[in-house]
Amino acid sequence: MALFDIIFEGSKQALEAAKAAVEAAIEKKGSDAKVAFPETAYGLPAIYAATGKKIGTLGELRDALSIVESLIVPEQNLEKALNAGLATALSAEIIEACKYAVEEKPYSEPCVGFISDAVIRSLGVPLVTGDIPGVAVVIGEAPSAQEAAKVIKDYQNKGLLVFLVGKIIDQALEAKVKMGLELRVVPLGYDVTSVIHVVTVAIRAALIFGAVPPGNLEELLKYTRERVPAFVNALGSLSELVVSAGAGAIALGFPVITDQDVQEVPHYLIVQKDYDKIVPTSLEARGIKIKITEVPIPVGFAAAFEGERVRKED
Amino acid sequence: MINCELFTCDAATKKLYEKAKKERIDTVWDRALAMQPQCGFGEMGLCCTNCSMGPCRIVKVSDDGPKAGICGATEDTIASRNFARAVAAGSAAHSDHGRDIALALYHATGKIRVKDEEKLFKIAGEWGIAVEGKDASRIAREVAEKALSEFGKIFGKLLFLKRAPHKRQNLWDELGVAPEAIDREIVEVLHSTHMGSDADYRNIIRQAIRAALSDGWGGSMIGTELSDVLFGTPVPRKVEANLGVLKKECVNIVVHGHEPTLSEAIVMAARDPELLELAKKQGAEGINVVGMCCTGNEIAMRHGIPMAGDFFQQELAIVTGAVEAMIVDVQCIMPSLATVAKCYHTKLITTSPKAKVPGAIHMEFDEQKGLDIAKRIVKEAVMNFKNRKGEVYIPDVKSEGEIGYSLEAIIKILDRVTNSFAHPSGTVKPLVDAIKSGVLRGAVAIVGCNNHKQPHNSCHVTLAKELLRRDILVVTTGCGAHSCIKAGLMSKEARKYCGKGLATVCELLDIPPVLHMGSCVDISRILVLLSEVANYMGVDISDLPVAAAAPEWMSEKAQSIGLYAVASGIYVVLGVSPAVTGSENVTNYLTKDLESVLGGRFEIEKDPVKAAEKIAVHIENKRKRLGI
Repeated sequence: MALFDIIFEGSKQALEAAKAAVEAAIEKKGSDAKVAFPETAYGLPAIYAATGKKIGTLGELRDALSIVESLIVPEQNLEKALNAGLATALSAEIIEACKYAVEEKPYSEPCVGFISDAVIRSLGVPLVTGDIPGVAVVIGEAPSAQEAAKVIKDYQNKGLLVFLVGKIIDQALEAKVKMGLELRVVPLGYDVTSVIHVVTVAIRAALIFGAVPPGNLEELLKYTRERVPAFVNALGSLSELVVSAGAGAIALGFPVITDQDVQEVPHYLIVQKDYDKIVPTSLEARGIKIKITEVPIPVGFAAAFEGERVRKED
Repeated sequence: MINCELFTCDAATKKLYEKAKKERIDTVWDRALAMQPQCGFGEMGLCCTNCSMGPCRIVKVSDDGPKAGICGATEDTIASRNFARAVAAGSAAHSDHGRDIALALYHATGKIRVKDEEKLFKIAGEWGIAVEGKDASRIAREVAEKALSEFGKIFGKLLFLKRAPHKRQNLWDELGVAPEAIDREIVEVLHSTHMGSDADYRNIIRQAIRAALSDGWGGSMIGTELSDVLFGTPVPRKVEANLGVLKKECVNIVVHGHEPTLSEAIVMAARDPELLELAKKQGAEGINVVGMCCTGNEIAMRHGIPMAGDFFQQELAIVTGAVEAMIVDVQCIMPSLATVAKCYHTKLITTSPKAKVPGAIHMEFDEQKGLDIAKRIVKEAVMNFKNRKGEVYIPDVKSEGEIGYSLEAIIKILDRVTNSFAHPSGTVKPLVDAIKSGVLRGAVAIVGCNNHKQPHNSCHVTLAKELLRRDILVVTTGCGAHSCIKAGLMSKEARKYCGKGLATVCELLDIPPVLHMGSCVDISRILVLLSEVANYMGVDISDLPVAAAAPEWMSEKAQSIGLYAVASGIYVVLGVSPAVTGSENVTNYLTKDLESVLGGRFEIEKDPVKAAEKIAVHIENKRKRLGI
């Protein structure tokens, strides 16, 4: 199947899933029920940034579905494909918002789910100074826990902020990778849709630090492309939904590096099957140059370990 | 007088046409108007003058009147013969150009230095010429000799055919259209179209295809490759275009024609300190060399010399009153230039024994004494500066663009988007990926001339813009390139005309959306690029989502180009119909049936917007068949 068709297919699936999630939530809670993420002033950040509208209730969320639908126009060109990718991101946000509307605490250890504004504000300075040289979003599943750990630790050693989505979280746990915001390794959630919680980090960075006016999609995408040094590693088998979410990342200006056979897109979608090269490939793709001199010591050494606590059992 | 708002979209052309009218000078448009109505028999290709029993004509409009020539030739025979002869003439023009370059390379010992040794070695390698222990000038001589033998060798096929994808080579062999020797194929067209020879239109066109292929994969390719060896392979650079590049305070020299051997020497001569001093003594600030038509493209691509104008602007350049000398060699030089020049101080200087013009000064160029002769010619121009008379008017119209996109330059640029940990460098992979992923829908070559039957420049420009909007990359050569750069399509700002996909590609690669690939012989660069892409994808050229268009074509060279493109598997849209419409069979053969034979065919579409639509449909169909 042509790459764009895979994206359109994934976006439609995401939309259907979002519709079902909204209907289920309304059935449970009613259309006047509040919908919000915890500790944010930006409503549903992706929808707010894209449209300028703050969603307050499940009924309004249902209305937002038509915005998503209008973004999926299966014409064969990049513009429509990227729009479909954005639609998938919005669908993901809708699905995640429904989780928060229906459940008291949809995420539990080790997953963090939605990230609060306060955390984003605390990340602002190190991002600007280059102390955090990049943001790696690792999604899916590596061939083994060792390979997963190798990639994650390599990013961590280089001071990058790493977000994990999917089975890679369990692989990281299995390989005893220490996680937590202070260690710059953040497991988001097991569902693909939880990737939206890192997307909204980038989006809120544009709103907070870039003063991008909500509703100005073009400027938002320009800010994320130019100022947020993020990229995606999509590991393991790729569903249409993941590919379409990848198109959303590309729309934000974030290259996707995968270990799977897909049609490459110059600069933006790169296949790298050699696990020893995933990290350098990704850093080059995003133009990230590491400022740190690597010190030849037998343990990891980076700002990421600054907040580390050494427990008794260690 | 004609309405100049309708006949051109170029501002400089409009202004100078008005000046020409004020000064009672006839231009190409006035002569075209005087020619109306043009002869229908000739227009439809139904007039034959191949023997003295004729002229014969076939009458189609009514039932009475002759339906066959005196010899019995039918409309199919007559139309196909005329077409084949036009193709042969076009192929001859390009091929003679190629031969002159090969000769120049042959003599490139001593004064003329080989500029691109790497390319020389590459061609030597391709042609099985041993390079070990030989110096560049010896290799150059051997390559030149081998190139020269391509024109008349007795056995074997053209060497450059090997650059085509295997499938294409096999197809040519099966159909018996693989050319053997360049001149041989042209002669055979002339033979078989002689009275009483070939009467089978399919067979006549088959021979025309051989002659055309001997141009694209022979004469033109030799011309391009060896010009690069001699004068350097073009690299990206900025250049100014349109008649506004003439400078009032300078000695203006327009080099016009085709062969870079002359124009390169003129460019060098114009930098001579003695001549510059002489120019100052004459009261000029300097010497301003500008180029016109294809020789203009050649020196623009290699030296950034301003592109003064296209085919239809050649008379208007003189009308500015600011041209001290127009130096010409061969091809597309309007004989009217001598008449126009007479009204001003401009000296029209012919240089080739193959192309003299009554009323012009003839200063014969000889590659072996190139620079000396060039200096004499430039001196003639310098000394003419003080003879300016009448009003000098240079329209303040020029634009800037980035040009110099040889195949080598393109591949180097593609490396900008390769990841050094994931991809090989030096290949067409990024281009293939951009196309396969759908970011680019395809690529189209816009080439060809100017023709009074189409509004000047606006067909090229409209077609280009329509394609850019659809994420289709445009490459261009010849006067198509002149049109596009004048319209600003070779600047970075031209991204505003592009769809998101093409705009993204241009941004990542830092290129304009319309790539100037050179002169008309440089269309061979496009053939090699397509072959590289097809080979990388493991398909034939005819499988690629590409097309070509000549919206304002005029010359027999354009017909040869069109036919070799079709024979290479490309869909070719012509804005002006060739003179074959009198025969339904020949027309159908060229525009329909050929596709099942060669994978390429002609399409006649005057309207550039509709042409773009047809091309887009063609490209999407090719994509579907490739499953991309």
